[in-house]
Amino acid sequence: MEPQDTEVATEIGDQTVAKPLLAVENLSKSFGIQPLWRNVSFTLHEGESLSICGASGSGKSTLLLAIGGLETVQSGTVMFDGHPVIGGRQAHVKGIGYVFQHYHLVEELTVRENLLLPFSIRFGSRQMPDIWDEVLDLLGLKELLDRLPTVLSGGEQQRAALARAVLAKPKLLLADEPTGSLDEATGARVMKLLLQVCRCFRMSLILVTHSPMFAEQTDRRMVLKNGFLSEQTP
Amino acid sequence: MVLRQMNAVFVEPSLHGKLSSAFPIAIFASPTHHGCTVGHRWNFLLAWRYLFPKKRFGTFFTWMSVVGIAAGVALLMIVLSIMNGFDTHIAEKLIQINGAIKIIARRPVAKDEVFLENIRRLPHVKAITPYVAGISMMQVGERVALPKCLGLDAETAGSVLPLERFLAKGSLDGLKDGAWVSESLAHECGLDVGDTFELYSPLALEAMKKEELLLPREVTVAGLFKTGWAEADRSTVLLPLELSQELYALSDNVHGFSVEADRKHLGEVCRAINNLLPPGLVAYTWNTLNADFLYILKLEKAMCFFVLLFVVAVAAFSMSSGLMSAVVRKRRELSLLRTWGATRTDLSLVFGLQSLLLGFLGLLAGFVAAAVILHERNAIVRGLTGWLLPKDALWNFYDVETLPAVWSRQDMLWIALLTLTMTLLASLLPIGRMYKLPLVQNLRRG
Repeated sequence: MEPQDTEVATEIGDQTVAKPLLAVENLSKSFGIQPLWRNVSFTLHEGESLSICGASGSGKSTLLLAIGGLETVQSGTVMFDGHPVIGGRQAHVKGIGYVFQHYHLVEELTVRENLLLPFSIRFGSRQMPDIWDEVLDLLGLKELLDRLPTVLSGGEQQRAALARAVLAKPKLLLADEPTGSLDEATGARVMKLLLQVCRCFRMSLILVTHSPMFAEQTDRRMVLKNGFLSEQTP
Repeated sequence: MVLRQMNAVFVEPSLHGKLSSAFPIAIFASPTHHGCTVGHRWNFLLAWRYLFPKKRFGTFFTWMSVVGIAAGVALLMIVLSIMNGFDTHIAEKLIQINGAIKIIARRPVAKDEVFLENIRRLPHVKAITPYVAGISMMQVGERVALPKCLGLDAETAGSVLPLERFLAKGSLDGLKDGAWVSESLAHECGLDVGDTFELYSPLALEAMKKEELLLPREVTVAGLFKTGWAEADRSTVLLPLELSQELYALSDNVHGFSVEADRKHLGEVCRAINNLLPPGLVAYTWNTLNADFLYILKLEKAMCFFVLLFVVAVAAFSMSSGLMSAVVRKRRELSLLRTWGATRTDLSLVFGLQSLLLGFLGLLAGFVAAAVILHERNAIVRGLTGWLLPKDALWNFYDVETLPAVWSRQDMLWIALLTLTMTLLASLLPIGRMYKLPLVQNLRRG
């Protein structure tokens, strides 16, 4: 049976098991003969948040991009929402949103235009984000809509980048060190908002971070060490 | 509330006083029952904003590119318009000097033939006059010259050639029994109105062979003339028809006829005349007679167009290098746009549109600049000639009171077409660069 939505479940006997939103199986990547990570496998369900910690250069960001289909892999599969994600071939996988350490806001556009740009690319001008008001209220962006990104603080820019990522209501949000460019207090505020937004709109989250403090705030924590991904139990 | 808010931002013109924001509103906003977003033509908005960011009246790159293209376009337009002006001026002079249609006889022909009356009756024919043309030797004291002599019928020549306009000094009636000498020749020989000179017939040579002596004719200068056509003004003498017939021993015959006709029907009239002419006589329009010269003018103009087009090409490729830098500078943004679903074609459109917009703005600015400069051309030229050249040198040589300039719609269309094509071609370099962008690396790097 083809999955229709993440709500679709498979019946095994008299038990009902929810199908995972994301299934990563035996993913391996190497640069030349040097393996980066091997046989990475995990699943993620709808609304679940997961953090990936690890030392610099351990391949966390590469893993995140491979999950989103932006990076090629040597072996393994990624199934998102019942469909395979073909690594490196597709720049855009419907239902996946990104937040990066660097906000990448378009300097020449106002915050409002920045927020609407990805929505326009995906859906054209016939539709408006139906969670526009809620997202702006939640992230406190209403006052900043007509400003240019260049006059915003780092925290404001990251909030705008977060709003831009969630307005299209992706099922999965991939966040690559979203607080990496912010000071501790601002980072904590942005992190809190990120988790709040994901909970509010039932988005799954994979967070790549160096900070154990932020990692602890997610439902599940994984560590990438010596090329292997292992789950940490609380 | 949301919809109203969106409309206010993307449609309400009062919120956007500046050009940088007004343009996308006019083009990209498409009101629907849902209100307006950035617009389904987001490529247009992005292209426009890269050139004219919000709250700024364009970037340095934008204006430099526009100025570069405008300079090339203006230069092309000015040079071609002045060349057109001179071409028109030259054409007018050629017609004034030779007549619109010339009937040339292989052998001297009687000036009162029957066919002449039939030609006069043809539609669009205004007048016809006979002429005699040749070279003779003139002597003024010790000075000798070999001017071109043109014998004209004082009664009818004025209706075909603008003799009154050519006359610089003397009287129109003087051509009945005296000669008109071109100003340069008169100046060279020290002649003035009322002076006399001796004119030798070329037949004197034949007479000498027979050991006969043919005495020269003494001719009085009745007028000095200037046509404005350097070749004619250098060394020409206009003589009464009877005198020139005598000079060349033609009795009552002539060398040909000049015809004045409606300029719009010259070809048609020329064909009709040729149908009436007996063998040995052929009618030519002024442009057939000067076909080689007109071809050279055309060639000169085409070469000027070709050479000056390189100025636009340089401006277009300088713009292209600016866009290449923009691609490198914006590589992270472009990669991010790809993750949202923008295809490479969409992104190519952003850069192609920027090129076209710059080309279009440069074209407009160039045409406006050319119009202003051409409007003020005489003041500019007078300033320059007064400053750099001896005053009136230009007027003396070309006989133009004002620098001629004629706008040609065809030239404008060609300039517009080639400028936009070149700017579009120039965008292929940044587009090619954009196609090679490594998506993943750009997203990772800060």
